Order: sequence, then C-alpha cells, then structure tokens
Amino acid sequence: MKKKKVSIASIIIYIFLGLLVVVYLAPLLWMLLVSFKTNAEVMTSPFGLPEVMRWDNYSFAWTAGYLGKATLNSAIVCVTALALSLLVGSMASFAIARMRWKLSKLVMTYFLIGMMVPVHCVLIPLFKTFSGWGLSNSLTGLILPYITFSLPMTIFIMTGFFENMPVELFEAACIDGCNIYEVFLKIALPLARTGFFVTGLMSFVGNWNELLLAMVFISDDTKKTLPVSLSKFVGPYNTNYTQMFAAIIIAIIPTIIVYCCFSNKIVDGLTAGAVKG
Amino acid sequence: MKWKKVMATTMAAVMLVANLSACGNSENSAKDTATDKTGTTTDTSSGSSTASSGDVQEITWMFWDDLNATEDLISLGYKDTVERFNKDYEGVYHVTPITTNLEEYYTKLNALVAAGETPDVFIVSPGPNLTTYVDPGVAADLTDYVKADGWLDTFNGGEGAFSQQTYDGKIYAVPLNIAAACVFYNTEMFEAAGISEMPTDWNGMIDACEKLQSAGYTPITISAGTAWCLSMLAGYLCDAEGADLSKIADGSASWLDAPFVNAANKMVELSKYFQPTAAGDTNDVATANFYNEKAAMLIQGSWAIGQINGANPDFESKCGVFAFPGTNGRVIAKSDSLAMSSATKNPEACIAFMKYFTDDTAQKYTAEVGGKIPVTKVEYDESLAPAQLPYVMDVFGKASSTFGFYNESLASTEAGSTFDDAMVSIYLGTPVEEGLQVVEDFYKDNVWK
Amino acid sequence: MDKLLRDKKAIFIFIAPAFILFTFILFIPICQSVYYSLCEYDALTKPVFVGLDNYVKLFTKDKTMKIAIKNSMFFMIFSAVSQLIVGLLLAALLTNINKGRNFFKNVYYLPCVLSSAALGLLWMFIFSSQFGINQILALFGIEGPLWLMDVKGFINLPMKVIAFVSLWQYVGQSMMLYMAQISGIDKSLYEASYIDGATKPQAFFHVTLPLIRPMVATAMSLNCIGSLKFFDLIFNMTEAGPNHQTEVLATHLYTQGFKYFKYGYASAIGVVLLILCLIVTFIINKFIKVKSYEM
Repeated sequence: MKKKKVSIASIIIYIFLGLLVVVYLAPLLWMLLVSFKTNAEVMTSPFGLPEVMRWDNYSFAWTAGYLGKATLNSAIVCVTALALSLLVGSMASFAIARMRWKLSKLVMTYFLIGMMVPVHCVLIPLFKTFSGWGLSNSLTGLILPYITFSLPMTIFIMTGFFENMPVELFEAACIDGCNIYEVFLKIALPLARTGFFVTGLMSFVGNWNELLLAMVFISDDTKKTLPVSLSKFVGPYNTNYTQMFAAIIIAIIPTIIVYCCFSNKIVDGLTAGAVKG
Repeated sequence: MKWKKVMATTMAAVMLVANLSACGNSENSAKDTATDKTGTTTDTSSGSSTASSGDVQEITWMFWDDLNATEDLISLGYKDTVERFNKDYEGVYHVTPITTNLEEYYTKLNALVAAGETPDVFIVSPGPNLTTYVDPGVAADLTDYVKADGWLDTFNGGEGAFSQQTYDGKIYAVPLNIAAACVFYNTEMFEAAGISEMPTDWNGMIDACEKLQSAGYTPITISAGTAWCLSMLAGYLCDAEGADLSKIADGSASWLDAPFVNAANKMVELSKYFQPTAAGDTNDVATANFYNEKAAMLIQGSWAIGQINGANPDFESKCGVFAFPGTNGRVIAKSDSLAMSSATKNPEACIAFMKYFTDDTAQKYTAEVGGKIPVTKVEYDESLAPAQLPYVMDVFGKASSTFGFYNESLASTEAGSTFDDAMVSIYLGTPVEEGLQVVEDFYKDNVWK
Repeated sequence: MDKLLRDKKAIFIFIAPAFILFTFILFIPICQSVYYSLCEYDALTKPVFVGLDNYVKLFTKDKTMKIAIKNSMFFMIFSAVSQLIVGLLLAALLTNINKGRNFFKNVYYLPCVLSSAALGLLWMFIFSSQFGINQILALFGIEGPLWLMDVKGFINLPMKVIAFVSLWQYVGQSMMLYMAQISGIDKSLYEASYIDGATKPQAFFHVTLPLIRPMVATAMSLNCIGSLKFFDLIFNMTEAGPNHQTEVLATHLYTQGFKYFKYGYASAIGVVLLILCLIVTFIINKFIKVKSYEM
C-alpha cells in the first residue's frame, strides 16, 4: 500500500521534471537549428527546419571569427583566473570564517563591496590604471581583473562552507599536532570540496562569458577571447544571425565539458555523503 | 588521497600559468617600450611585427565592424582599402585596424581616449557625435591637409562636401561615402495595385497606401523596435512640415510648435498602413519583410541595398526607389567620416591612409559594390552597381538640399535618443502633445539654459 | 587550538593576496568612481567638481531613474522569491529521486553556463511579434500580445517576460548552491527523523531547511545583488526600450555613461546601486542568517 503511494508521487515528480526539461532544451535546440540556416531563412521561418544543412556556417564562423585562437585565449585566461581565484579566495575565506581576529567582519564587508558594483562603474578608472601599468591589450591584463571580480563571490560562498564545518574536526587536527597551514590544506580544503566546485563553476562560467572588459581591454585580433569573437558577427546595420549562432554553439562546447566535470563532483559528494554536516 | 592529487595538479597548473603570464608580461613590457617610441601599438593581425624596424610609421585605425566576419559590403570595402594601403606603403607606413562591434565602439573609444591611447584614425558619425570629439580637442583640425595637394578638388561639391564636418570654418573629419534615406518599393506590388505615378506629396502617399491596402498588400514595413528607423520617417515628416532645427537649437522655436505636432499626427495617420507587428519588429525583421515581399514599401537608408540584394538576389530587379514625398526635394543623408587623433605622432601616415578611402578604387567600390554614393567625382561603371543605386543617385542628384538624420542633428546624442523615444511612444499610443512635451522638457532642462 | 586560530602571521598570509588584488583592482577604481560621481566628467576631458549636483538631478529631475528603481525593485523581489522557491523545490526533488538526477541537474543548470547575450537574442526571437510564441498562439487563432513592446500597467509585460527568462536562466545556480549544501547534511539525521515517523516532506521542512538556512541567506543575497546589477538579458532583449520602459539601474547607468558620455552622472547611479545592495544584504543577513553555524 505504502509502496504504491510513493511510486505515484515519483511519477508526478518525473513528469514535472520532464516538462521542465522541454522548457529548458527547446530554446537551445532551436539555436542549434538556426545555426544551419541562411539569414534569409531565419527571417522567413525562424522555427522551421532548414532547407539545406549549412555546415559552412560553422567553417566560416571558425575561420572568420578566429575561434580557435579565441578558444585558446579564453581557456588560458579563465583557467588561470579560476585556479588563482579559488586558491586566493579560499585562503581569505578560511581566515575570515575560522580564524579569530577582530577585523574579520569588517574585512568580509570590504570584500562584499566588490560584488555590489557593476563592472561598468569601474571600467574607465580600471582601464586608465591598467593602461598606465602597460597591461592593456594583454591577457595578463584580463586575468587580474577576472580573478579579482571572482573573489568577492568566492569568498562569500566559501566562508559559508568553512563556517559550517564542525569545530571538532579542527580540534582533533590540533591535537594531532598540525599547524594552521596543515589544518587549512589537509582538513578545511578537502571538506569544502563541494563549495569549491560550485564557486569554481560559477566564476569560470562568469569569466568565460565576460564581454565588456575583454572588449575594451583587448585590441589585437590574436588576443581576443571568445565572447568578443562572437560579437564580431553583429554588424552596424544588420546581424549575421546564423554564423553567430554557429559560433555560439562552438563556444558552448568547452563550457559544457568543464561544467560536466565540475557539476558531477557535487553529486558525487552527495551520494558518498563524504562531508559530514 | 585523491584530493592531494588534485591539489598537486592545481598547484602545478598555477605555477605553469604563472610562468606563462610572466613571459607574457615581459613580452608586453618590451612591446610597451616600442610603443613609447613610436607612439602607437604594434601590429599583430598579420603576424609580422614591423614595429622594431624604426622606419615604419605605425598607425591604428578604429572601426565599428569586424573586417573578417562582416557581411556588410561597405565594411568589406574598407578591408580592401586597409590591405591596399599596407601593401602599397610596405616599409613606410603600416595601419592596424582595431575593431569592435557598434554596440561597444564608443565605450572602447572613450576608454582609449581617457587612457591617452587614442587611435590615430577613428570613424565617427557627423553631428553631435563628432562634436563630442572636436570640443575637447581629441579630433585634429584637418583643414590644411584637406586643402593641400588638390585633395579637396577631388570631392563632389568641394568644401560643400564637408559641411557636416566643419566647425568654425575648420574641417575635423573626412566623409567617405554618403547614404541617402529613400523609399524603397516593390514594383510588382505597385503595378498590381494600379499605381503608375510615384507619390510626390502627402496625399499621393496616402492614396498609394490606400490602393496597396485594398489590393491586399501591407503598404509599409517599418521598425519601431529599432527606434531610429521610425525616427527617420518622423524626421522626413517634420522636415516636410517646415520644421527648422536651427531655430530649435537656439531656442526660438518650440517642440510643441505646429510643424512637429502636424508631423507627429501625420505619422500616426500613416501608421495605419504599417505592418501589424511594426511595434515589435527590429530593423532586421522589418527589412526582411520587404525583401521577402510581405510589404510594398520600406523607408530606409541606402546601406540597406546590400542587405536586400544579398538576402534575396531575385528581388533586385523588382526593387524601385523614390524620394520621400512632400519634402520639396530635401533628402536625409548620412556619411561615415574619419577623424584623426590630435595626439598622433604620424599625421602624414594618417592622412595618406585617409586618402586611400577617397581614392578612385575605393570610391568606385563604394558605388559599384557597396551601393552607397561616392563623395568624390569618380567615374564608375553603372552596369556593375546594384540596380537600385542609379535610382538612389537620381534621388540624391535631384535633391534641392540634404539634411542629417534627425537624431544626429539635434543638440546631443541624448537629445537625439529622446526624440527617437518620443516618436516611438507616440506611435505606441501616447498623445502627440504629451510625447513632444518630453522632448520639450529635455531641451528646457539641458539645452536652452 | 585557540592560539593556533589567533596566529597573526597566518591570518596575514591568508588574507594578504586577496586583499592586495582587491584593493588595487577593485577598491581604488570604486573610490575613483565615487569621486567621479561628484564631478561632471565625460571621460574625454578632465573631471570638473560639481558637488552633489549629479545626485540632486538624479532624484529630482530624472524620470527614467524612477522607472529604473521601480523595475529594479520588482525584479529583485521577483528573483529573490521565485529563485528561492523554485531553486529549493528543484534541489529537494533532485536529491530525492534515484534515477536521472545528474541528467536533470545538468539540463537545468545548462543556461547558466551560456552567455546572456546569446540567450537574450534567442528569447528576443521567441517573444518577437511575428515568430515564436505568437506563431504558436496563431495556430489556435489567438492573437498574441506584443511581448516586448506592450508598456501598459505598473509593471509592464516586457519586464515580466524578462523576469521569467532570468528565472529560467539562473534558477539552476540557486539549485546548485542548495544541492551542494544539502549534500553536506549528515545522512544519519534523516534516518533518525524517519525512525521518528517523519515523511519525506516533513523531513525536508524539519531537517533540511533549518540546516541550510545560512545558504538560503547566502543564495538570496547573491540573487538580490545579482538582480540589482542585472544588465545583459535586458540589454539584449529590449535595449531598455521601448521609451525606457524596461530600464533598470544598470542599463540606465550604461546608457548615461556610455551612450551619452555622462560618466560622472553614471557613476552617481553606480553609487546609488552600491548603497541599495548594501542595504539589501544587511536586511537579508539581519532577518535570515541567524547565527546557526554550529550544526
């Protein structure tokens, strides 16, 4: 009796989840469809099937947009920024959440300010500064702000994870004679793993899609990142939709790969129950 | 255990990248010293670095469309020009294009100016946009260069060609081509509706729309979703009603005066003949309605020719052009113009580069391929040009005078947008006086002080 | 233990890198921008100090600012509430199903990894006047509304459409945060509650919810701040039009700063935005994040 009731509930749940999947995937499939059309076709029947599959949209997008080089640039910038922001961010969060010092609340607030300022607001001063340092038009000039812009969110979320860890674990480590750096590296970091994956994913994706800074900071075609390359297909009077969508599809693939690696880790943590609350 | 591995890999990656970026740094600082010497950034687009050989004068040119990924014919023509210039002046001058899309163009340009890295040559729209760069002294005075070596004489109309680029008798930018705003029409539909004479006045226009509508066609396709498209029509209507923008500028006329009120009312009247989705359609969609033969008329600038013929080549022969009726022969015209940075270290290179845009090859291309009106007295092969160009040239040639886009002829970019938005809101149902009051208020607060 | 956690040198080493980066790359530019907000500055000429003029104009004369504040507030409240409910619901459902958890989670998170610019364009087509939803409605003989142009009402239709699209795009983020936190909950707590006769929903309300409360506060602050700063989707779907009716604070800032070159004025909007964010974060932390870390 009880068993049957459960299965009805789960059927409803699955139907609900399935409908949501349609809502989520249909627009994206449409994007895929458009990438095989001609621009004229998009305007006559945007939701119909393409008359001929135009694979050359992809080859044009790849060559004209310098997408190969752009993907490499994006990868260099985003991976570096990701690794450094996670390291630097979790160090700071650990100190804020776990260490005992008077100014910790204040420093936390200080970092939070960064999250509240739209990038447009700091664009001109930042560009002036970087130009003075000779960092405009270089990938380093993008990596540094990307790390920094990821920091507030990383610290904000990671602090929550560190705060929620049971005190006993740290005490046990102390008794074992660990110093504070070992406590951080061996106890705190592994325990905050799920937090790592979530924040890492969020900051990586944020940086991967960041357009404005990249557009303003980078002038060389060979140093442009993916979002800048995607915007190449927007002309002054009309937009080259099909090739842009083809380029977008190409650009999405690396994100999806990274995303799958990261996101499954969260579920791994879930099933293994490794992190005790 | 697993974690240790991850950590170790991460650290290794960090070290590696740190090294890489350190390399990047030193490379950059090396470049920067080179930059300091020549005052320009170094070339990379072709991969050959020529900055180190001190003889070559390096300049940058900033433009609002990507030269490789673009489908815009005029942009492709500019790409040719850049390549020709770099080839012909190899070892002497070299230009590197800096491109963004139009959306971020001014953001980037202004950031570069603010940081003291103004590109040597940059493209601007005449009007308040150019004023923005003339007033603070960012754009250089080009008068002497233009008047030297007979350059000026190659232009159609001599100094008249520079009227929109001249401030206090000084020329600050060089026009490259002219686009005229016309009414494009579907000749088959006009024939089927029994219209033989193109409308020349307001009543004729309404009459033609009526005939088209009763023949089962949508008379006009226009975009209110892209505000400047609707505003272009409004500009024509205002001008036809005798609006005088110079009186608006000095405050001796009001936006609530009869010409503007009448024009807005006429726009509302004409809106009966728009496609039903005009309010939401973007410029791309509105133009597509025309070349996909869903509507009989399109009021657009001549840059749309390339887009129309490119998307539907069969349509070229059916597409006619006439001047917007009722304006006493006045035509809206817009030109791309090049300005030079007042801080450039290589003005000769910049001028030589600009001259490549107005030489016969480039101007021929403008007419024959780009479908825009050349600025110089170049001879070109009319049979090669798009079928619509002769009509546009005809409209332009018969024009008694030209005037700028309304949104580019007002006191500031913001004033232009305010006008655009007011027109859209009137079209969407705001009462005419209320809509114009918004523009009036803006002028009271910001212009007529 | 206590001594270890009060190690000044260690604290310094942990904080310093983040602090230095943050100060030079974010804080100093923010200060500069606060200074610009007191100036008339167009980025092309030197700033001219004008005191509070920009702020006075912003709050007394600027009609667009009123629209922007109204829309931003609507948007923030809608996002906070809807993301909390839908995000928690999805997280709860997904942690409780056995098959296909990964698949569903990946699909719902997918839009978060895509650029808002591309998605904005996509949704613009779907909600356009001729194609998309209206095309489907026309099959049933219904004339669809002008989704992105109909500006009647206090909160107009385009804002509602944009709010829906943003929920669609970002709810995966909240879901992930909640799932990550739920995964940290000790299984034995559930087992204990089941033994006490609790049903799954009861366990959710009595075990899960209290334990992830700090994360609710975190996610909500992120949502609120994110939605106050919201820019990309709006800019790509409506360009804040028609006639500024879908303007929010960030788009207003962009238009003033980068379309009209009123950089000082735009900075003032930025400062207002910053203060709003601070207030909202303060409120959320005051009322939701009660000290309940010791789990």
